[in-house]
Amino acid sequence: MKATAHLTAEFDPVTGRTVLRRLRSMAPLTLLPKRGAGDVALVHLVNSATAPLGGDELALHVRVGPGARLRLSGVAATLALPGQRGGAGTMAVHAEVAEGGRLDYLPEPTVVTARARHHALLTAELAADARLRTREVLVLGRDGERPGELTTAMHVTRGEVPVLRQELTIGDALLDGSSAYLAGRRVLGTEVVVAGSDGAVEPVSGQWWSLTPLPAGGALATVLAEDAVTAERELAEAVSHHPAPIG
Amino acid sequence: MSMTDSTEPVPVRSGAVSLILADSRFPGGGHVHSGGLEEAVERGLIHGTADLRPFLAGRLRATGELTAVFAAAAAHAAARGVTRRHWAVLDSEFDARTPSAAQREASRAQGRGTARAASAGWPSPVLRELLAETPRPHHPVILGVITGMSGGRPVDAASTAAYLAVSGPASAAVRLLGLDPLAVNGIVANLSRALDDVAGRAAAVAGDDPRDLPAPGAPALDLLAEAQLRHHKEEVRLFAS
Repeated sequence: MKATAHLTAEFDPVTGRTVLRRLRSMAPLTLLPKRGAGDVALVHLVNSATAPLGGDELALHVRVGPGARLRLSGVAATLALPGQRGGAGTMAVHAEVAEGGRLDYLPEPTVVTARARHHALLTAELAADARLRTREVLVLGRDGERPGELTTAMHVTRGEVPVLRQELTIGDALLDGSSAYLAGRRVLGTEVVVAGSDGAVEPVSGQWWSLTPLPAGGALATVLAEDAVTAERELAEAVSHHPAPIG
Repeated sequence: MSMTDSTEPVPVRSGAVSLILADSRFPGGGHVHSGGLEEAVERGLIHGTADLRPFLAGRLRATGELTAVFAAAAAHAAARGVTRRHWAVLDSEFDARTPSAAQREASRAQGRGTARAASAGWPSPVLRELLAETPRPHHPVILGVITGMSGGRPVDAASTAAYLAVSGPASAAVRLLGLDPLAVNGIVANLSRALDDVAGRAAAVAGDDPRDLPAPGAPALDLLAEAQLRHHKEEVRLFAS
Protein backbone atom coordinates (compact mmCIF):
# COMPACT_ATOMS: atom_id res chain seq x y z
CA MET A 1 0.00 0.00 0.00
CA LYS A 2 1.27 3.48 -0.86
CA ALA A 3 -0.12 6.47 0.93
CA THR A 4 0.91 10.10 1.46
CA ALA A 5 -0.83 12.32 4.00
CA HIS A 6 -0.42 16.08 4.34
CA LEU A 7 -0.90 18.40 7.27
CA THR A 8 -0.30 22.16 7.25
CA ALA A 9 -0.78 24.37 10.29
CA GLU A 10 -0.68 28.16 10.11
CA PHE A 11 -0.98 30.94 12.62
CA ASP A 12 -4.08 33.08 12.09
CA PRO A 13 -3.28 36.64 13.20
CA VAL A 14 -6.99 37.54 13.37
CA THR A 15 -7.91 34.95 16.01
CA GLY A 16 -4.44 34.49 17.44
CA ARG A 17 -4.82 30.73 17.03
CA THR A 18 -3.27 28.04 14.88
CA VAL A 19 -5.52 26.77 12.11
CA LEU A 20 -5.19 23.69 9.93
CA ARG A 21 -4.90 24.92 6.36
CA ARG A 22 -4.44 21.51 4.87
CA LEU A 23 -5.40 18.18 6.33
CA ARG A 24 -5.33 15.33 3.87
CA SER A 25 -5.54 11.81 5.19
CA MET A 26 -4.88 8.77 3.04
CA ALA A 27 -5.59 5.28 4.30
CA PRO A 28 -4.04 3.91 6.39
CA LEU A 29 -2.84 7.30 7.67
CA THR A 30 -5.76 9.13 9.21
CA LEU A 31 -5.41 12.63 10.64
CA LEU A 32 -8.10 13.60 13.13
CA PRO A 33 -8.31 17.25 14.21
CA LYS A 34 -9.13 17.65 17.90
CA ARG A 35 -10.04 20.60 20.04
CA GLY A 36 -6.69 22.11 20.96
CA ALA A 37 -5.64 23.78 24.15
CA GLY A 38 -5.08 27.53 23.92
CA ASP A 39 -3.33 28.52 20.71
CA VAL A 40 -2.10 25.01 19.93
CA ALA A 41 -3.70 22.97 17.17
CA LEU A 42 -4.06 19.31 18.13
CA VAL A 43 -4.24 16.48 15.63
CA HIS A 44 -4.34 12.76 16.25
CA LEU A 45 -2.55 10.41 13.91
CA VAL A 46 -4.40 7.12 13.65
CA ASN A 47 -3.17 4.10 11.77
CA SER A 48 -6.57 3.05 10.49
CA ALA A 49 -5.70 -0.40 9.14
CA THR A 50 -3.14 -2.74 10.62
CA ALA A 51 -0.20 -0.75 9.42
CA PRO A 52 2.55 -0.52 8.60
CA LEU A 53 2.82 -3.85 6.84
CA GLY A 54 5.81 -5.12 4.92
CA GLY A 55 5.74 -3.55 1.46
CA ASP A 56 3.86 -0.42 2.58
CA GLU A 57 5.26 2.95 1.56
CA LEU A 58 3.74 5.52 3.85
CA ALA A 59 4.65 9.20 3.97
CA LEU A 60 3.46 12.09 6.07
CA HIS A 61 4.33 15.70 5.23
CA VAL A 62 3.88 18.22 8.01
CA ARG A 63 4.33 21.98 7.66
CA VAL A 64 4.12 24.38 10.55
CA GLY A 65 3.96 28.00 9.41
CA PRO A 66 5.51 31.07 11.07
CA GLY A 67 4.36 31.38 14.68
CA ALA A 68 2.04 28.36 14.45
CA ARG A 69 1.94 25.64 17.10
CA LEU A 70 0.96 22.08 16.25
CA ARG A 71 0.79 19.00 18.40
CA LEU A 72 0.52 15.75 16.45
CA SER A 73 -0.05 12.77 18.71
CA GLY A 74 -0.47 9.08 18.20
CA VAL A 75 -3.36 7.35 19.92
CA ALA A 76 -2.26 3.72 20.05
CA ALA A 77 0.89 1.69 19.69
CA THR A 78 1.95 0.87 16.14
CA LEU A 79 2.56 -2.76 15.28
CA ALA A 80 5.14 -3.19 12.56
CA LEU A 81 4.02 -6.43 10.89
CA PRO A 82 5.43 -8.59 8.12
CA GLY A 83 3.76 -8.27 4.74
CA GLN A 84 2.51 -11.16 2.60
CA ARG A 85 5.42 -10.86 0.20
CA GLY A 86 8.06 -10.33 2.86
CA GLY A 87 9.15 -6.92 1.56
CA ALA A 88 10.21 -4.07 3.80
CA GLY A 89 7.74 -1.37 4.76
CA THR A 90 8.64 2.29 5.13
CA MET A 91 7.14 5.15 7.06
CA ALA A 92 8.69 8.53 6.24
CA VAL A 93 7.74 11.66 8.13
CA HIS A 94 8.98 14.97 6.80
CA ALA A 95 8.41 18.09 8.87
CA GLU A 96 9.17 21.73 8.18
CA VAL A 97 8.81 24.26 10.97
CA ALA A 98 9.02 27.96 10.11
CA GLU A 99 10.20 30.94 12.16
CA GLY A 100 8.63 31.01 15.59
CA GLY A 101 6.73 27.80 14.90
CA ARG A 102 6.55 24.78 17.17
CA LEU A 103 5.87 21.15 16.36
CA ASP A 104 5.32 18.43 18.91
CA TYR A 105 5.26 15.08 17.12
CA LEU A 106 4.56 12.40 19.70
CA PRO A 107 3.65 9.02 18.24
CA GLU A 108 2.95 6.09 20.53
CA PRO A 109 5.46 3.21 20.75
CA THR A 110 6.25 1.03 17.73
CA VAL A 111 6.33 -2.69 18.41
CA VAL A 112 8.62 -4.55 16.03
CA THR A 113 6.90 -7.92 15.70
CA ALA A 114 8.56 -11.14 14.59
CA ARG A 115 9.58 -11.23 10.92
CA ALA A 116 8.61 -7.59 10.36
CA ARG A 117 10.92 -5.55 8.13
CA HIS A 118 10.39 -1.88 8.58
CA HIS A 119 12.20 1.39 7.92
CA ALA A 120 11.24 4.53 9.78
CA LEU A 121 12.56 7.90 8.67
CA LEU A 122 12.05 11.31 10.22
CA THR A 123 13.47 14.46 8.69
CA ALA A 124 12.80 17.80 10.33
CA GLU A 125 13.91 21.11 8.84
CA LEU A 126 13.75 23.90 11.35
CA ALA A 127 13.94 27.66 10.91
CA ALA A 128 16.41 29.50 13.15
CA ASP A 129 14.10 29.90 16.15
CA ALA A 130 11.64 27.09 15.43
CA ARG A 131 10.95 24.57 18.19
CA LEU A 132 10.57 20.82 17.94
CA ARG A 133 9.81 17.98 20.25
CA THR A 134 9.63 14.44 18.98
CA ARG A 135 9.75 11.03 20.56
CA GLU A 136 10.41 7.53 19.35
CA VAL A 137 9.84 4.44 21.49
CA LEU A 138 10.75 1.13 19.91
CA VAL A 139 9.72 -2.18 21.48
CA LEU A 140 11.59 -5.32 20.48
CA GLY A 141 8.69 -7.69 19.83
CA ARG A 142 5.53 -8.48 21.74
CA ASP A 143 5.83 -10.42 25.02
CA GLY A 144 8.18 -13.33 24.57
CA GLU A 145 8.63 -12.60 20.88
CA ARG A 146 11.90 -12.02 19.07
CA PRO A 147 11.78 -8.81 17.08
CA GLY A 148 11.86 -8.55 13.31
CA GLU A 149 14.08 -5.92 11.71
CA LEU A 150 13.66 -2.21 12.00
CA THR A 151 15.94 0.59 10.95
CA THR A 152 15.23 4.09 12.02
CA ALA A 153 16.85 7.31 10.87
CA MET A 154 16.36 10.76 12.32
CA HIS A 155 17.74 13.89 10.70
CA VAL A 156 17.09 17.25 12.32
CA THR A 157 18.60 20.32 10.69
CA ARG A 158 18.37 24.03 11.34
CA GLY A 159 19.08 25.82 8.10
CA GLU A 160 22.40 24.40 6.91
CA VAL A 161 23.36 23.26 10.41
CA PRO A 162 22.89 19.60 11.33
CA VAL A 163 21.38 19.26 14.82
CA LEU A 164 21.04 15.48 15.08
CA ARG A 165 21.61 12.58 12.74
CA GLN A 166 21.04 9.10 14.15
CA GLU A 167 20.49 5.76 12.50
CA LEU A 168 19.66 2.75 14.63
CA THR A 169 19.06 -0.90 13.91
CA ILE A 170 16.72 -3.15 15.87
CA GLY A 171 16.48 -6.89 15.49
CA ASP A 172 20.11 -7.72 14.74
CA ALA A 173 20.79 -10.32 17.43
CA LEU A 174 24.42 -9.23 17.83
CA LEU A 175 23.52 -5.58 18.39
CA ASP A 176 20.39 -6.25 20.46
CA GLY A 177 22.40 -8.27 22.96
CA SER A 178 25.63 -6.27 22.95
CA SER A 179 26.19 -4.21 26.08
CA ALA A 180 27.61 -1.57 23.70
CA TYR A 181 24.33 -1.22 21.77
CA LEU A 182 20.97 -2.19 23.30
CA ALA A 183 22.42 -4.21 26.19
CA GLY A 184 19.72 -6.86 25.90
CA ARG A 185 17.03 -4.41 26.94
CA ARG A 186 13.67 -4.61 25.18
CA VAL A 187 12.77 -0.97 24.74
CA LEU A 188 14.69 1.95 23.27
CA GLY A 189 13.29 5.41 23.76
CA THR A 190 14.62 8.68 22.40
CA GLU A 191 13.21 12.18 22.58
CA VAL A 192 14.55 15.25 20.84
CA VAL A 193 13.82 18.68 22.22
CA VAL A 194 14.83 21.82 20.35
CA ALA A 195 13.48 24.63 22.46
CA GLY A 196 15.58 27.73 22.06
CA SER A 197 17.00 27.66 25.59
CA ASP A 198 18.95 24.48 24.96
CA GLY A 199 22.24 26.22 25.62
CA ALA A 200 21.38 25.95 29.30
CA VAL A 201 20.89 22.17 29.24
CA GLU A 202 23.26 20.43 31.62
CA PRO A 203 23.93 16.76 30.91
CA VAL A 204 22.13 14.59 33.44
CA SER A 205 21.73 10.83 33.59
CA GLY A 206 20.50 7.86 35.55
CA GLN A 207 21.53 4.24 35.21
CA TRP A 208 19.74 3.68 31.89
CA TRP A 209 18.64 7.15 30.83
CA SER A 210 20.29 10.43 29.98
CA LEU A 211 19.59 13.94 28.75
CA THR A 212 22.47 15.53 26.87
CA PRO A 213 22.79 18.86 25.09
CA LEU A 214 23.38 18.64 21.37
CA PRO A 215 26.30 20.74 20.12
CA ALA A 216 24.31 22.85 17.65
CA GLY A 217 21.35 23.43 19.99
CA GLY A 218 18.69 21.02 21.11
CA ALA A 219 18.92 18.14 23.53
CA LEU A 220 18.44 14.40 23.28
CA ALA A 221 16.96 12.12 25.91
CA THR A 222 17.85 8.44 25.61
CA VAL A 223 16.40 5.49 27.55
CA LEU A 224 16.99 1.76 27.46
CA ALA A 225 14.31 -0.04 29.48
CA GLU A 226 12.75 -3.45 30.01
CA ASP A 227 9.23 -2.28 29.14
CA ALA A 228 7.50 0.61 27.39
CA VAL A 229 5.90 2.02 30.55
CA THR A 230 9.29 2.37 32.24
CA ALA A 231 10.80 3.79 29.06
CA GLU A 232 8.15 6.52 28.86
CA ARG A 233 8.46 7.31 32.56
CA GLU A 234 12.24 7.64 32.34
CA LEU A 235 12.01 9.70 29.14
CA ALA A 236 9.69 12.06 31.01
CA GLU A 237 12.18 12.14 33.89
CA ALA A 238 15.04 12.95 31.52
CA VAL A 239 13.11 15.67 29.69
CA SER A 240 11.97 17.20 32.99
CA HIS A 241 15.57 18.34 33.49
CA HIS A 242 15.33 20.53 30.38
CA PRO A 243 15.05 24.17 31.48
CA ALA A 244 12.44 25.10 28.86
CA PRO A 245 8.72 24.58 29.55
CA ILE A 246 8.27 21.37 27.56
CA GLY A 247 4.83 19.98 28.36
CA MET B 1 51.54 27.58 -1.54
CA SER B 2 49.03 25.50 0.29
CA MET B 3 49.04 21.81 -0.43
CA THR B 4 45.33 22.04 -1.14
CA ASP B 5 46.31 23.95 -4.27
CA SER B 6 48.82 21.36 -5.33
CA THR B 7 48.07 19.49 -8.51
CA GLU B 8 50.66 16.82 -7.83
CA PRO B 9 49.00 13.66 -6.60
CA VAL B 10 50.33 12.26 -3.36
CA PRO B 11 51.73 8.79 -4.12
CA VAL B 12 49.88 5.96 -2.40
CA ARG B 13 51.89 4.92 0.61
CA SER B 14 49.64 2.90 2.82
CA GLY B 15 51.13 0.87 5.59
CA ALA B 16 53.58 2.65 7.82
CA VAL B 17 51.37 5.58 8.81
CA SER B 18 48.54 3.21 9.73
CA LEU B 19 50.89 1.15 11.89
CA ILE B 20 52.09 4.24 13.73
CA LEU B 21 48.57 5.60 14.34
CA ALA B 22 47.19 2.23 15.45
CA ASP B 23 50.11 1.44 17.75
CA SER B 24 49.06 1.51 21.39
CA ARG B 25 52.35 3.31 22.08
CA PHE B 26 51.38 6.20 19.79
CA PRO B 27 51.41 9.28 22.09
CA GLY B 28 47.91 10.51 21.23
CA GLY B 29 46.41 9.98 24.68
CA GLY B 30 44.22 7.04 23.69
CA HIS B 31 45.42 4.97 26.63
CA VAL B 32 43.22 6.88 29.10
CA HIS B 33 40.00 5.89 27.27
CA SER B 34 38.23 2.55 27.65
CA GLY B 35 35.36 3.33 25.28
CA GLY B 36 32.67 2.58 27.86
CA LEU B 37 34.28 -0.69 28.91
CA GLU B 38 35.14 0.46 32.44
CA GLU B 39 31.57 1.57 33.17
CA ALA B 40 30.22 -1.69 31.72
CA VAL B 41 32.57 -3.65 33.97
CA GLU B 42 31.61 -1.57 37.02
CA ARG B 43 27.94 -2.37 36.34
CA GLY B 44 28.65 -6.07 36.12
CA LEU B 45 27.71 -6.24 32.45
CA ILE B 46 31.08 -7.71 31.53
CA HIS B 47 32.78 -10.37 33.64
CA GLY B 48 34.93 -12.24 31.19
CA THR B 49 35.77 -12.97 27.61
CA ALA B 50 32.29 -14.35 26.88
CA ASP B 51 30.75 -10.91 27.60
CA LEU B 52 33.63 -8.99 26.08
CA ARG B 53 33.16 -10.54 22.65
CA PRO B 54 29.66 -9.10 21.99
CA PHE B 55 30.65 -5.78 23.58
CA LEU B 56 33.53 -5.36 21.15
CA ALA B 57 31.53 -6.63 18.17
CA GLY B 58 28.72 -4.18 18.95
CA ARG B 59 31.16 -1.34 19.52
CA LEU B 60 32.75 -2.03 16.16
CA ARG B 61 29.40 -2.04 14.35
CA ALA B 62 28.32 1.24 15.97
CA THR B 63 31.15 3.54 17.05
CA GLY B 64 33.67 1.75 14.86
CA GLU B 65 31.48 2.18 11.80
CA LEU B 66 30.94 5.89 12.51
CA THR B 67 34.60 6.67 13.19
CA ALA B 68 35.69 4.64 10.15
CA VAL B 69 33.32 6.62 7.94
CA PHE B 70 34.67 9.97 9.14
CA ALA B 71 38.30 8.86 9.03
CA ALA B 72 37.81 7.70 5.43
CA ALA B 73 36.00 10.92 4.49
CA ALA B 74 38.76 13.05 6.04
CA ALA B 75 41.49 11.06 4.29
CA HIS B 76 39.66 11.47 0.99
CA ALA B 77 39.26 15.21 1.58
CA ALA B 78 42.90 15.70 2.62
CA ALA B 79 44.15 13.89 -0.47
CA ARG B 80 41.90 15.65 -2.97
CA GLY B 81 42.27 19.11 -1.42
CA VAL B 82 39.30 20.94 0.07
CA THR B 83 38.57 24.44 1.29
CA ARG B 84 39.11 25.20 4.96
CA ARG B 85 35.36 25.38 5.40
CA HIS B 86 35.12 21.65 4.64
CA TRP B 87 36.81 20.83 7.97
CA ALA B 88 34.16 22.78 9.84
CA VAL B 89 31.45 20.89 7.94
CA LEU B 90 32.96 17.50 8.78
CA ASP B 91 33.29 18.60 12.40
CA SER B 92 29.66 19.64 12.70
CA GLU B 93 28.45 16.52 10.89
CA PHE B 94 30.37 14.29 13.31
CA ASP B 95 29.04 16.36 16.21
CA ALA B 96 25.45 15.83 15.03
CA ARG B 97 26.09 12.06 14.98
CA THR B 98 27.48 12.04 18.53
CA PRO B 99 24.60 12.98 20.82
CA SER B 100 26.45 12.10 24.04
CA ALA B 101 28.33 15.12 25.38
CA ALA B 102 30.73 12.75 27.14
CA GLN B 103 31.48 10.92 23.90
CA ARG B 104 32.07 14.18 22.06
CA GLU B 105 34.52 15.25 24.75
CA ALA B 106 36.33 11.89 24.63
CA SER B 107 36.61 12.18 20.85
CA ARG B 108 37.93 15.74 20.96
CA ALA B 109 40.38 14.94 23.78
CA GLN B 110 41.89 12.15 21.69
CA GLY B 111 41.76 14.36 18.61
CA ARG B 112 43.69 17.07 20.41
CA GLY B 113 46.26 14.58 21.70
CA THR B 114 46.68 13.17 18.22
CA ALA B 115 47.00 16.71 16.82
CA ARG B 116 49.94 17.42 19.12
CA ALA B 117 51.71 14.32 17.93
CA ALA B 118 50.81 15.11 14.33
CA SER B 119 52.15 18.64 14.42
CA ALA B 120 55.53 17.21 15.42
CA GLY B 121 55.36 14.11 13.26
CA TRP B 122 53.55 15.07 10.08
CA PRO B 123 53.56 18.86 9.72
CA SER B 124 51.67 19.95 6.62
CA PRO B 125 49.61 22.89 5.37
CA VAL B 126 46.47 20.76 5.41
CA LEU B 127 47.04 19.83 9.05
CA ARG B 128 47.52 23.50 9.93
CA GLU B 129 44.30 24.41 8.13
CA LEU B 130 42.42 21.66 9.94
CA LEU B 131 43.71 22.83 13.33
CA ALA B 132 43.08 26.49 12.53
CA GLU B 133 39.45 25.64 11.76
CA THR B 134 38.99 23.06 14.55
CA PRO B 135 41.68 23.35 17.26
CA ARG B 136 40.24 20.28 18.99
CA PRO B 137 39.33 18.11 16.01
CA HIS B 138 37.35 14.93 16.38
CA HIS B 139 39.63 11.93 16.61
CA PRO B 140 38.59 10.15 13.38
CA VAL B 141 38.90 13.36 11.37
CA ILE B 142 42.51 13.97 12.34
CA LEU B 143 43.33 10.29 11.89
CA GLY B 144 41.99 10.64 8.37
CA VAL B 145 43.89 13.85 7.65
CA ILE B 146 47.21 12.38 8.81
CA THR B 147 46.59 9.25 6.76
CA GLY B 148 45.52 11.15 3.65
CA MET B 149 48.45 13.58 3.81
CA SER B 150 50.85 10.68 4.20
CA GLY B 151 49.64 8.98 1.06
CA GLY B 152 47.35 6.51 2.81
CA ARG B 153 44.03 5.63 1.24
CA PRO B 154 40.60 6.24 2.79
CA VAL B 155 40.34 2.52 3.51
CA ASP B 156 43.59 2.70 5.50
CA ALA B 157 42.26 5.54 7.64
CA ALA B 158 39.00 3.66 8.11
CA SER B 159 40.86 0.50 9.19
CA THR B 160 42.86 2.47 11.73
CA ALA B 161 39.77 4.12 13.21
CA ALA B 162 37.79 0.89 13.31
CA TYR B 163 40.68 -0.99 14.92
CA LEU B 164 41.14 1.71 17.57
CA ALA B 165 37.42 1.45 18.36
CA VAL B 166 38.02 -2.10 19.64
CA SER B 167 41.71 -2.25 20.60
CA GLY B 168 41.43 0.35 23.35
CA PRO B 169 38.50 -1.35 25.12
CA ALA B 170 40.16 -4.74 24.61
CA SER B 171 43.34 -3.73 26.41
CA ALA B 172 41.26 -1.96 29.07
CA ALA B 173 39.47 -5.25 29.68
CA VAL B 174 42.79 -6.98 30.29
CA ARG B 175 43.72 -4.36 32.87
CA LEU B 176 40.34 -4.10 34.59
CA LEU B 177 39.35 -7.75 34.69
CA GLY B 178 42.75 -9.41 34.59
CA LEU B 179 41.70 -11.37 31.52
CA ASP B 180 44.09 -13.62 29.65
CA PRO B 181 45.72 -11.32 27.07
CA LEU B 182 45.93 -14.18 24.60
CA ALA B 183 42.22 -14.87 24.86
CA VAL B 184 41.40 -11.16 24.45
CA ASN B 185 43.69 -10.92 21.46
CA GLY B 186 41.88 -13.93 20.05
CA ILE B 187 38.59 -12.00 20.23
CA VAL B 188 40.12 -9.05 18.41
CA ALA B 189 41.68 -11.39 15.84
CA ASN B 190 38.27 -12.95 15.26
CA LEU B 191 36.94 -9.50 14.41
CA SER B 192 39.46 -9.14 11.55
CA ARG B 193 36.94 -9.81 8.84
CA ALA B 194 34.35 -7.55 10.46
CA LEU B 195 37.01 -4.82 10.73
CA ASP B 196 37.78 -5.14 7.04
CA ASP B 197 34.08 -5.03 6.18
CA VAL B 198 33.59 -1.84 8.22
CA ALA B 199 36.60 -0.22 6.55
CA GLY B 200 35.43 -1.26 3.11
CA ARG B 201 31.96 0.18 3.64
CA ALA B 202 33.46 3.41 4.98
CA ALA B 203 35.83 3.76 2.02
CA ALA B 204 32.96 3.27 -0.40
CA VAL B 205 31.28 6.48 0.81
CA ALA B 206 34.45 8.48 1.57
CA GLY B 207 33.85 10.99 -1.23
CA ASP B 208 30.17 11.54 -0.49
CA ASP B 209 28.69 14.84 0.66
CA PRO B 210 29.31 14.88 4.45
CA ARG B 211 25.59 15.44 5.02
CA ASP B 212 24.85 12.07 3.45
CA LEU B 213 27.39 10.00 5.39
CA PRO B 214 26.02 7.17 7.53
CA ALA B 215 25.10 8.04 11.12
CA PRO B 216 25.12 4.83 13.18
CA GLY B 217 24.21 5.44 16.81
CA ALA B 218 25.07 3.41 19.92
CA PRO B 219 22.49 4.00 22.66
CA ALA B 220 24.12 1.89 25.38
CA LEU B 221 27.58 3.37 24.77
CA ASP B 222 26.05 6.84 25.03
CA LEU B 223 24.51 5.98 28.39
CA LEU B 224 27.68 4.30 29.67
CA ALA B 225 29.76 7.33 28.64
CA GLU B 226 27.45 9.77 30.40
CA ALA B 227 27.48 7.68 33.58
CA GLN B 228 31.25 7.19 33.54
CA LEU B 229 31.73 10.94 33.44
CA ARG B 230 29.37 11.96 36.22
CA HIS B 231 28.25 9.17 38.48
CA HIS B 232 31.57 8.25 39.95
CA LYS B 233 33.34 11.47 40.78
CA GLU B 234 34.09 10.17 44.24
CA GLU B 235 35.34 6.80 43.04
CA VAL B 236 38.71 6.18 41.53
CA ARG B 237 38.48 5.22 37.89
CA LEU B 238 41.35 4.21 35.69
CA PHE B 239 39.91 5.70 32.50
CA ALA B 240 38.51 9.07 31.42
CA SER B 241 35.86 7.39 29.26
